[in-house]
Amino acid sequence: GNLLGIHLFQCPDAVGIVAKLSECIASRGGNIHSVDVFVPDDAPVFYARSEFTYNPRLWPRDMLRTDFLHLSDCFNAQKSTVRVPDIDPKYKIAVLASKQDHCLFDLLHRWQEGRLPVDIHCVISNHDRPVDNHVMRFLKRHEIPYHYLPTTSGNKREQEILELIEGTDFVVLARYMQVMSESFLKSYGKDIINIHHGLLPSFKGGSPSRQAFNAGVKLIGATSHFVTPELDAGPIIEQMVERVSHRDTLHSFVVKSENLEKQCLAEAIKSYCELRVLPYEVMKTVVF
Amino acid sequence: MLRTDFLHLSDCFNAQKSTVRVPDIDPKYKIAVLASKQDHCLFDLLHRWQEGRLPVDIHCVISNHDRPVDNHVMRFLKRHEIPYHYLPTTSGNKREQEILELIEGTDFVVLARYMQVMSESFLKSYGKDIINIHHGLLPSFKGGSPSRQAFNAGVKLIGATSHFVTPELDAGPIIEQMVERVSHRDTLHSFVVKSENLEKQCLAEAIKSYCELRVLPYEVMKTVVF
Repeated sequence: GNLLGIHLFQCPDAVGIVAKLSECIASRGGNIHSVDVFVPDDAPVFYARSEFTYNPRLWPRDMLRTDFLHLSDCFNAQKSTVRVPDIDPKYKIAVLASKQDHCLFDLLHRWQEGRLPVDIHCVISNHDRPVDNHVMRFLKRHEIPYHYLPTTSGNKREQEILELIEGTDFVVLARYMQVMSESFLKSYGKDIINIHHGLLPSFKGGSPSRQAFNAGVKLIGATSHFVTPELDAGPIIEQMVERVSHRDTLHSFVVKSENLEKQCLAEAIKSYCELRVLPYEVMKTVVF
Repeated sequence: MLRTDFLHLSDCFNAQKSTVRVPDIDPKYKIAVLASKQDHCLFDLLHRWQEGRLPVDIHCVISNHDRPVDNHVMRFLKRHEIPYHYLPTTSGNKREQEILELIEGTDFVVLARYMQVMSESFLKSYGKDIINIHHGLLPSFKGGSPSRQAFNAGVKLIGATSHFVTPELDAGPIIEQMVERVSHRDTLHSFVVKSENLEKQCLAEAIKSYCELRVLPYEVMKTVVF
C-alpha cells in the first residue's frame, strides 16, 4: 500500500525550488497531494510543506532520506525535515506541569484516544500528587513515569530535568509555572512549546485571568508559543479567544481560560507534529 | 408622568443612574463625530446613519485633516447639510476650546479614529460620555501604530476595542472588542485592512449599544453591557 510522506522545507529563495521538489517526488513514483508554499514579500526566504503518497517498495525509507538531503544541500536549506508518520517512530515528548493539571490531563486523554501522535516519555512536575489522583492513576495504568521534582526559588532542578528529558524530540510545558533559564534552553537545544493562559502580548507573567478580569476586557484568550529566554515572548504558534462580559466572575474567567488553554495547546502540538510550524523571522511562525 | 415616576423611583433608591427613553418620541441623541485623516470609521457611521441604522442626530463633524470639496465624505456631509469643521492641530494647540464650543449641546461624542489625545480639562469641561475606537486589542498595543506593533509581535489574532475616553490614553472602560485571525500570509497592509473592518464594526456596535441604553460603566475600568 501507499504511505503518506510529509516534507517541511526552508531555504533561501531561488528559482526552481518547487520544480526540483516535485521532480524529486515524481521521479520516485510519488504522488503529491498538496503543496503549501510561502515566500514573504519582503524577504528572499522560501518555505514549503508538501504532502505526498508513495510506494515504499519503489522508494525505501533510506533513499527517501538521502534524496531530500540532497535537495537540502542543493538549496542550502536551513530546514529540511521529512516524516512518514506510518513508519517513523512517533515524536518522543516530555510533559511538564505544576499544580493545575487540566492541560496535562487533556493531553493524556487525547493521547489515549490516538489523537495525539506522540510517545509520552515521562511527566515531570514540581507538584506532588497522591497515588489515587486521577492523573497518577492514568499514568500508572499506561506505564508513563511521573517524576516529582519540587522547586524552590534557589533550585529549579534544571540539571535533573535535563537528564530526564534527554532523548526527547520536544518538550511541552502544560501550565508548568517555572521559568526555564537560558542555559537550560541552550542545553536542551530542541523545541519547547508552552501554553500561556492569556492573549499575548497582553497579560504576560502571573495571574493573567485576574489581570484580564481587572482590565475589563470583553475577550480573553490563550496563546501557545515556543519558549525563548524571554518570558512569554517566543514565536506564537496559535491563539484562541472567548467572549466574557459583566456576568463573568473571576471564577468563570478562569474556567473559560482553562478551556481555551486545553484547545490551544493541543492545536499547537498537533500542528507541530504534522510539520506545519516553522519559526519565521525573530518572533513569528509560519503555520501551514 | 413616565419621567416623574421613574424619577421618584430613582430618589427612593438613591440611584447613581436612572435613564428612561422612549425612542419613538424622545429626541434622538445628538452627537458630534471627530476624525483625522483615516475616514473609514467616519464614513461607515455616516452610511449607517443614512440607512437609519444609527439612531442619532449628527450635529457636526470635526476634523484636524483638511478635505477637498469633492471628497466623498465632504459631498455626503454637504448633501445632508451636516457641518464639517476643519480645525488643524499642532503640538502646541489642540484647539480644544473651539471643539468644546462646537460640541456644546451634544449628548455624547464619538472619536472615529481621531488621533489627538483629549486633555483631562477637556474631558472635565465637556462632562459627557466620549466613545473612542482603538485599532488594537487593548490592553495590547496601546498608543500609535498598533497594526505595526501586532505585525511585528507575530500574533495570530488582531482586534479592535471601543471604549469610553478617560484622561489615561487607551485605558477607559471597554465597551466592545472584536478579533480576526491573521497568519504568516498576512502583510502589514492586510493587517491594516482587517483592522479597519474590525474598527468599523466595533465602533458601530458600541454606539448602537450605547443608544439602546445597554451600557453602564462598572467599577473603575469595566462596563456592564446588557
